Amino acid sequence: MTGESGGVRVGVDIGGTFTDIMVFDAGSGRFHIGKTLTTPDDPSRAVAEGLAQTLQDAGITPQSVQRIVHGTTLVTNAIIERKGVPTALITTRGFRDAVEMGREHRYDLYDIFLELPKPLVPRRLRLELDERILADGTVLTPVDPDQVKDLALHLAQSGVQAVAIALLHSYRNPEHERQVEAILNEFAPDLTVSTSSSVVPEIREYERTSTTIANVYVRPVVVDYLAKLEVSLAELGFDGSLFIMLSSGGICTVETASKYPIRLVESGPAAGALAASEYGRRTGRPNILSFDMGGTTAKACIIDDGEPSTTSDFEVSRVYRFKKGSGLPVKVPVIEMIEIGAGGGSIARVDSLGLLKVGPDSAGADPGPVCYGNGGTHPTVTDADLVLGYLDPRYFLGGKMSLNIQGAKEAIMREVAEPLGLGLHAAAWGIHQVVNENMASAARIHAIEGGKDPRAYPVFAFGGAGPVHAYRVAEILRSPQLIVPLGAGVTSTVGFLAAPLAFDFVRTYFGQLGDIVWHNINGLYSEMESEGRAILGQAGVRPEDMTIARSVEMRYAGQGHEVAVPMPAGELGEETLAQAVTAFEEVYRRLYERTAPGNPIEALTWRVVVSAPRPDLPLEQLSSAEGLTSMALDALKGERPIYLPEDGTFVEVPVFDRYRFGPGAGFGGPAIIEERESTLVIGRAGRVTVDELLNVVVDIPQID
Amino acid sequence: MDIEITFDLEVSKVTTIDPIQLEVMWNRLIAVVNEQATALMRTSFTTIVRESGDLSAGVFDTRGNMIAQAVTGTPGHINAMATCIHHFLAVYPSDTLVPGDVLITNDPQKTSGHLHDFTVITPVFQEERLVGFFGNTCHVLDIGGRGLGTDAKSVYEEGLFVPITKLYDAGQENSELVKLIAANVRTPEPVLGDIHAQVAGNDVGGRRLLEFMSEFGLESIEPLADEIIFRSEKAMREAISRLPDGSFENAVYSDGYEEPVRLQVKIDKKGDELWVDWTGSSPESKLGINVVLNYTHAYTTYAVKCALAPEVPNNEGSFRPVHVSAPERCILNAQHPAPVGARHIIGHFLPGAIFGALSEALPDSVMAEGAANIWINQFSGRDEADKVWTYVWFSAGGTGARPNKDGINATAFPSGISGVPAEVIESLSPVVMHRREFRQDSGGPGKFRGGLGQTMEVSVRGERPFSLSPLFDRTRYAAQGYQGGQPGGFGRIEASTGEVFERKGVRDFPAGAGVTLELPGGGGFFDPFSREPMSVLEDVVDGLVSVEAARSDYGVAIDAATFEVDEDQTASLRAGR
Repeated sequence: MTGESGGVRVGVDIGGTFTDIMVFDAGSGRFHIGKTLTTPDDPSRAVAEGLAQTLQDAGITPQSVQRIVHGTTLVTNAIIERKGVPTALITTRGFRDAVEMGREHRYDLYDIFLELPKPLVPRRLRLELDERILADGTVLTPVDPDQVKDLALHLAQSGVQAVAIALLHSYRNPEHERQVEAILNEFAPDLTVSTSSSVVPEIREYERTSTTIANVYVRPVVVDYLAKLEVSLAELGFDGSLFIMLSSGGICTVETASKYPIRLVESGPAAGALAASEYGRRTGRPNILSFDMGGTTAKACIIDDGEPSTTSDFEVSRVYRFKKGSGLPVKVPVIEMIEIGAGGGSIARVDSLGLLKVGPDSAGADPGPVCYGNGGTHPTVTDADLVLGYLDPRYFLGGKMSLNIQGAKEAIMREVAEPLGLGLHAAAWGIHQVVNENMASAARIHAIEGGKDPRAYPVFAFGGAGPVHAYRVAEILRSPQLIVPLGAGVTSTVGFLAAPLAFDFVRTYFGQLGDIVWHNINGLYSEMESEGRAILGQAGVRPEDMTIARSVEMRYAGQGHEVAVPMPAGELGEETLAQAVTAFEEVYRRLYERTAPGNPIEALTWRVVVSAPRPDLPLEQLSSAEGLTSMALDALKGERPIYLPEDGTFVEVPVFDRYRFGPGAGFGGPAIIEERESTLVIGRAGRVTVDELLNVVVDIPQID
Repeated sequence: MDIEITFDLEVSKVTTIDPIQLEVMWNRLIAVVNEQATALMRTSFTTIVRESGDLSAGVFDTRGNMIAQAVTGTPGHINAMATCIHHFLAVYPSDTLVPGDVLITNDPQKTSGHLHDFTVITPVFQEERLVGFFGNTCHVLDIGGRGLGTDAKSVYEEGLFVPITKLYDAGQENSELVKLIAANVRTPEPVLGDIHAQVAGNDVGGRRLLEFMSEFGLESIEPLADEIIFRSEKAMREAISRLPDGSFENAVYSDGYEEPVRLQVKIDKKGDELWVDWTGSSPESKLGINVVLNYTHAYTTYAVKCALAPEVPNNEGSFRPVHVSAPERCILNAQHPAPVGARHIIGHFLPGAIFGALSEALPDSVMAEGAANIWINQFSGRDEADKVWTYVWFSAGGTGARPNKDGINATAFPSGISGVPAEVIESLSPVVMHRREFRQDSGGPGKFRGGLGQTMEVSVRGERPFSLSPLFDRTRYAAQGYQGGQPGGFGRIEASTGEVFERKGVRDFPAGAGVTLELPGGGGFFDPFSREPMSVLEDVVDGLVSVEAARSDYGVAIDAATFEVDEDQTASLRAGR
């Protein structure tokens, strides 16, 4: 944002195990990293304590912090663990089951014992009203205020704390929902209420209702948490602005987050993708594949033109965690990425066909991999990485934790090598290779679904386990290059600092392009835009610094999948029709190679993103180390044997100290590069250079 | 470790790819067919294909063995596609095919059972050498004739029949065929658009396969295919072996069209193979509910796999130990030119028949009978401007109960398709849905309750008459429960004019009429009097079971005002039976 170059900005990410903090002091141009254990009973405590400590270490006063951007898994966890508040639904007569009936579909064709996700509101609390709006927005049956009043009085006494209002076709005409909300506010003022037309004004009753319920179900929990956090931060002496990261990669005010908490559902992974985009832009690589591998999952995200793309198809609380369709749909903008059950803790086993499988089940943080020595007995990816020499048992987390390699070997022998009739190292390499294949397949599908060729994308790898696996994943994807940032274990927090203040709005207005009344669209756009400007204005952004991006989702009539098409600014009119057709065909051809002339085009969903300028972030300052060297040999700290598949055996390779690499250092693989939170493994063909931002860049020649 | 792949062809056909390389290559092959399917879905014009996932896509070796399929689709397509390729190769032997050839047909007997499904097969060449085939099957929007329904008396009335033909010959489009298709269907653009999407999908698969082969240095996928097929077949055989030797029989009934249809199955199990025979089933119907053997085979092998080995990959190997037969000209082996348009109605009953036959031997592995066929609700009429409109959507009744849990409410089985939101239906047509909810008491009572069907109340806006061609069933034969479980609710369609639908076929209605469609529920599992009273109470509180039914069907007395179980009364109700 403008006018803040002298301030201090902070990014805070609450994860399952650790709360990560990154402080950027624009005055000195320095970054400071903090890491503290998450306090699940009251997560705001770890934030306040961790921040106080990090600021103290850096010699910065809380008063000089201008902005804190915060991401949290609170929303996801509250839904997965069903720890929201008792919630009721008010819906159109005849449709209380829409939220349970879903799409009448089994997500697994062969499993006749499958279970569908249970809605957050049981049928007994799904209440119906006599009212009806038709698809064109006209009223068939008006709301009966007395009936609503009776319902409100009943609900006020019933023990529920929250109510979702989701009436048919409210995305087209929200009037009935507004009436019902007003009556509830009057006669049951203690209830938290969300209407579907404000949370997600989009067609499809199942998805809209499910999203609205999820929003209001977690709302009191989130409101309470954010209030506590504000108090804790104020007590610390912080008087800047607190912003919350959205799943879409934008950030919003506490007030907005408190109204629409469902939009925070994937805020952690979003920050990772934003960090990758930022690095990509800063190093002249607008198109990259972000690859984030942690303890339980790996996420891959294609970034084009420096921006990750967003989607509104997301699910939470899956019955089977990685099975598409087994969760509750939430239609909020999330950064489009693929998440699979492949992490350091993923468990390896031999299945009924005598094949090696890795994941998606994970040993998690507790008991964790066998080598952690915390009672884990099943061999994991981390155990295999250790046996292959990729991890140093004495330098895990910078030596803070020692690893039990003997236990890892025994577990791999017992559960993988012996059942498959393989030696220890073949089995360990097998685990490593299978998990790499799984991740590469997922990344490839993710790319293809967006019509992208994964071979065109350099891989940007981070997360605790990312650098260990990224070289081989890049090889499988036939990616030309691998980039690994300094501090790969906490790279996500960079995303919080890089995020511009931005807010998305959406309205549904359905029609064939030729029949669109552009005057109505002008109304929709200006309504959304003034809402966005108001929010940004409150956050101190000057009107002239705000940018507005319009788009509309379109498709050929008869299709079920829309593509997002940019729309021009300003007043729309008759001439817009031709522009829209051209823009649609251009996007369509880019995605699918051909257009389908002669078929009518229809528009469904109209979107606006209102944003403030992107903040400056001098990533070259991320390293505070002295004595950087451009001579790779000066950073050499030893040698150790690692398994090299190219050679089919263990080979002594040089081990480098990541913190000593300065710009210009270069050498050839194979090699190991160590830093505190992660280890980078480089194969024989890799050519390494260190760039100005101290990224390790590995060129991988293509062998055909 | 040695990462070379060695094949020991001397010892047996079984190769010795090490298990890790096999897992890697197998996953890659699945990724390849998923890419094929994704490309197809994203470029398809049929909402049935993209919203409901009603398609299949797979890869075959040069001998025509299906070795991997995309993770999508519905059994009637997937398994029918697996067997159809041999018909293509009989007409165009593989040594006559050249790069750039693409084959197509909608021959019901040779593919998935009705003219609405086009199957497209593309041979893949490395240099000039054939290395495999990609295939896919998709439901097209229209194929001419009477339109999708039961009323045709022969396949000639059902639309355009395209025998196994070249759609492309050495890269050259067969434009005469394309002209012919365009002239015979009501909606040529989306139909041809979909056919081209099918071609493009196979092309994407073929390109990726060649890349995969060059990366792994493979000159042939046959050794990999052998290994995949061998392992799948072995796992399937092991699963079959766990069933005791013997003969298992069952019969189920459908409303049929002109008269009830009996589906009689006999499963002979010996060693590690199964013979499933449908002798004793009804003869061919005069109307379009007949099923071709390929489709019978598809739903038979699907049901066997669900019951015995859901985790075994679905490919040539898993089909081999299962032999399927039905007498010619019975309703499950219809011969040309019998009408077959609505073959799914009868086809969807087959898994229930098979589960019933296996339920004694494998009580823990089957679900009770469910609603069976998806209902296809096809409304049409003319709007105020006299323009013809038509709208179709699918709906599902309840599944049968499982031996350890309740059935699933209003969810398709055995079909793998999805429904359509009311808001989408109303936006694209003048249909208005006034109610769509679970049908109280339609779940078959049992210790585990059958899934509930759904009730839809529908009318049509405007001052014009309209027609309804519903593809429904179970109005006379309810879904049976297992092991003391009770039947699910009947299907029923009643119009505001008072008409109750007793047979299939198109009906005309005056303006302003409404129709109530009640979809059947699934059967229960085990004696309902052994259901936990608290579970019955939960169902009553949620309105899934009425207070009256709790008492009569489950022997649980519940106070309607307080929602409390009267334990003394319950004990005496349950003892008094």
